[in-house]
Amino acid sequence: MVSKKITLANAQGFHMRPASVFSTAMGKYACEITIKFNGNDYNGKSLLNIIAACIKCGSEIEIVCDGVDENEALAEAVKLIESGLGE
Amino acid sequence: MLHGTAASEGIGIGKVMIIEENSLEYTPKTVTDTDAELKRFKDAVEVFCNNTLKQAEQLRKSAGEKEAEILEGHIQIIKDPYLSGEIEKLIEGGQCAEAALEQMCDMFIAMFSATDDELTKQRAADVRDIKSGVLSVLLGVQEVRVSDAPKGTILAAHELTPSVTAGINKDNIVGIITETGGKTSHSAILARALEIPAVLSVDGVISQLKTGDDVIVDGCAGDVIINPDQAEVEKYNEKRSQFLQVRRELENYRGKETLDASGTEYELVCNIGKPDDAAKAIECDGEGVGLFRTEFLFMDRTSVPTEDEQFEAYKKAALILKDKPLIIRTLDIGGDKEIPYLGLEKEENPFMGFRAIRFCLKNKDLFKSQIRAILRASAFGNIKIMFPLVTCVEELRQGKALVEEVKKELDEADIKYDKNIAVGVMMETSAAAVIADKLAKEADFFSIGTNDLTGYTMACDRGNSNVSYLYSPLQPSVLRLIKYIIECGVQNNIPVGMCGEAAANEMMIPLLISFGLTEFSVSAPSVLKVRKVISTWTKEKADKVTQKVMSLDTEKEITDYLSTVI
Repeated sequence: MVSKKITLANAQGFHMRPASVFSTAMGKYACEITIKFNGNDYNGKSLLNIIAACIKCGSEIEIVCDGVDENEALAEAVKLIESGLGE
Repeated sequence: MLHGTAASEGIGIGKVMIIEENSLEYTPKTVTDTDAELKRFKDAVEVFCNNTLKQAEQLRKSAGEKEAEILEGHIQIIKDPYLSGEIEKLIEGGQCAEAALEQMCDMFIAMFSATDDELTKQRAADVRDIKSGVLSVLLGVQEVRVSDAPKGTILAAHELTPSVTAGINKDNIVGIITETGGKTSHSAILARALEIPAVLSVDGVISQLKTGDDVIVDGCAGDVIINPDQAEVEKYNEKRSQFLQVRRELENYRGKETLDASGTEYELVCNIGKPDDAAKAIECDGEGVGLFRTEFLFMDRTSVPTEDEQFEAYKKAALILKDKPLIIRTLDIGGDKEIPYLGLEKEENPFMGFRAIRFCLKNKDLFKSQIRAILRASAFGNIKIMFPLVTCVEELRQGKALVEEVKKELDEADIKYDKNIAVGVMMETSAAAVIADKLAKEADFFSIGTNDLTGYTMACDRGNSNVSYLYSPLQPSVLRLIKYIIECGVQNNIPVGMCGEAAANEMMIPLLISFGLTEFSVSAPSVLKVRKVISTWTKEKADKVTQKVMSLDTEKEITDYLSTVI
C-alpha cells in the first residue's frame, strides 16, 4: 500500500469535470484507490463518490493505492492533481 | 397573476402543455433469475446511453456545446463503476432492476442535496434525471416527446430536465414555466440560450394549470397569467412586439466594434463580481472586463483566502477572457461589511473610515498576498491592477512600491508574471479627482467610479430617501470633476475608463465622448445597448451638446436639456 498527501489547487474543487478526469484515469488501474478526506474514505474510481466528497480548492486530501499497480496509480493520481485536472 | 423568478427575458403567449412526471411507478418484486435481470438492467443502460447521445447531439445544435456536455455527463455517471457495481450487487441479491436503480440513485440524490455547495446540489438534478431516464427504459414508458409540441406551446413542468429540454424546438415552444430552479439553473441557462421566455420557481403552478389552458409568460417581470382576458392578451401582444423589436435592433450590434458616428473606437467592457461572470461578459459581447470586484473571495467564510485560492480565481477569469483586458480591483472592504476574521471594527462612518486601500496598506501581508496572486495570474492573460478609494498621491506610491516588492520576490522565486502589468487608480473620491493631474503622472490608467464619486462629492447617501434627490452624476459639480479627470488623463496619455453605472447612462454618453473617455465598463446585459447609443453620436454633435450642458446651472436644467437631444 502506498499513499501521499496533496493539496487540491483547482479553483472549482473536485467538481464534475475534474472528478470525471480523475475517476476515468484511475479506472485503468487494477489496485484499489481511496481518497481520504475529512475523516472519510471515498472510492477514487467513482465519479459520484468524488463529487459527494465535496472537496474544495485548498483542501488537503490523501490518496491511498493498494494493489499490484499501486505505484503507477499513485504517481498518475498525484500528477493529475498537480496539473489541475484538465481545468 | 402568479409570480416567479424572471429567468429568461421575453413575452410568451400560448397554450400550456404540462409535462407529467408521475408515470414511472412500478411494483417492486423479488427476482429469482438474477442473470436475466442483470442483463435487463445492462440493456436498459445501453438504450439510455444511446438516447442520451442523440439528445446531446440535438442540444449541441439548438443550444450549444456547454448544454450538450451536461447531457454527455449523464452517460459517465450511469457508467460510474461504483454506482453500477452497487446496483448489480443489489440485483444479485434478488432485487428487481427498478428498485436497485432507485435505491442507489436516491442515495446519491440525498447525499448531494444535503451539501451546502451549490454546484454539488445541481448534480442531484442530474442523478434524478438519469434515474427517470433509465426507469423509463426499464418500464417501457415513452418519455414525453416535447419535439411533437405544436406551434405556440408553453411548457409547464415541476422541473425541466436536460433530456426534456433537448427535444425543444424553439420555433414551437414560446414559453417555459417551472416550479423549481433559479436564475443560474440549467433550465434558465438553456432557456436564455434558446431565447425562450421563462419564469421559474412559481410555487404550485402545476396544480393550477391544465394542458390546453391559455397562458401568458412574462420573462421580463417574472409573471404568469392563466386564462387572460382579451384586454390582457392585447396588452401583452403589444409588450411582446416592442420587446422583440428592441432585441432585434440590439442584435445588429453583436460582434461589432464599438465606434461612434465619427469612427472613433472605444473599449466596451463589463463589470463582474466572480470569475464565472467573465463568461457572461463574453456571452453578452463584452470586449473584456473593466472592473473585477474581488470582495466575493473574502465574504462568507471564516478565514483569509490563501494566495493560491485567489490565484486560481483570477487565473480562471483571465483564461476565460483570453487576451481581452481584465482589470482587477484590489480589496475594497470596510466596517460596513461583517467579516469577523479581518478584525474590522464597526465604525460610526465606515464610508469615510478604515477601508479599501487604507486598510490594505496597513495590512501589508494580506495586501501582498492579493498582489502576488494577481501578478501570478497575469502570466495567463491581459491583467491590470486597480487600487480603490485613493485620495492622495502617497497611497498610489505605496501601493506601487508593494507591487514592485512582490515582483522582486517573484523574480527571485523564478515565477512568471507580466513584467509590464499596468497599475491604475479607481477615481471615486473628490480628493483624487481634484489632484487628477498629479495622479495621472504616476498611474498607468484611470477608471472613474461614478457611484462613489457622486456620493462623496454630493455628500449624500443615495439610500437615504431624504437626500437621495441630490444623488446624480449629472450634477454640475460631479460633471466638472469627471471632465477634469478625463482631461488630465488625455494630457498625460493614459487611458481613462468609467466603471460606474453612469457609463451606461444614455444622457452621460455624449458628454463622456466629448470629454475623451476611452473605455466604458458596464453590466453585461447593457453592452449592446451602450454600443448602439455610442454609435449614434458624432464627436461634433457630442461637443456641441456638452458645451451647452457645462454652461447650465442646475442638474434639473441639464437633464431637461439632455432629454430633448437624446
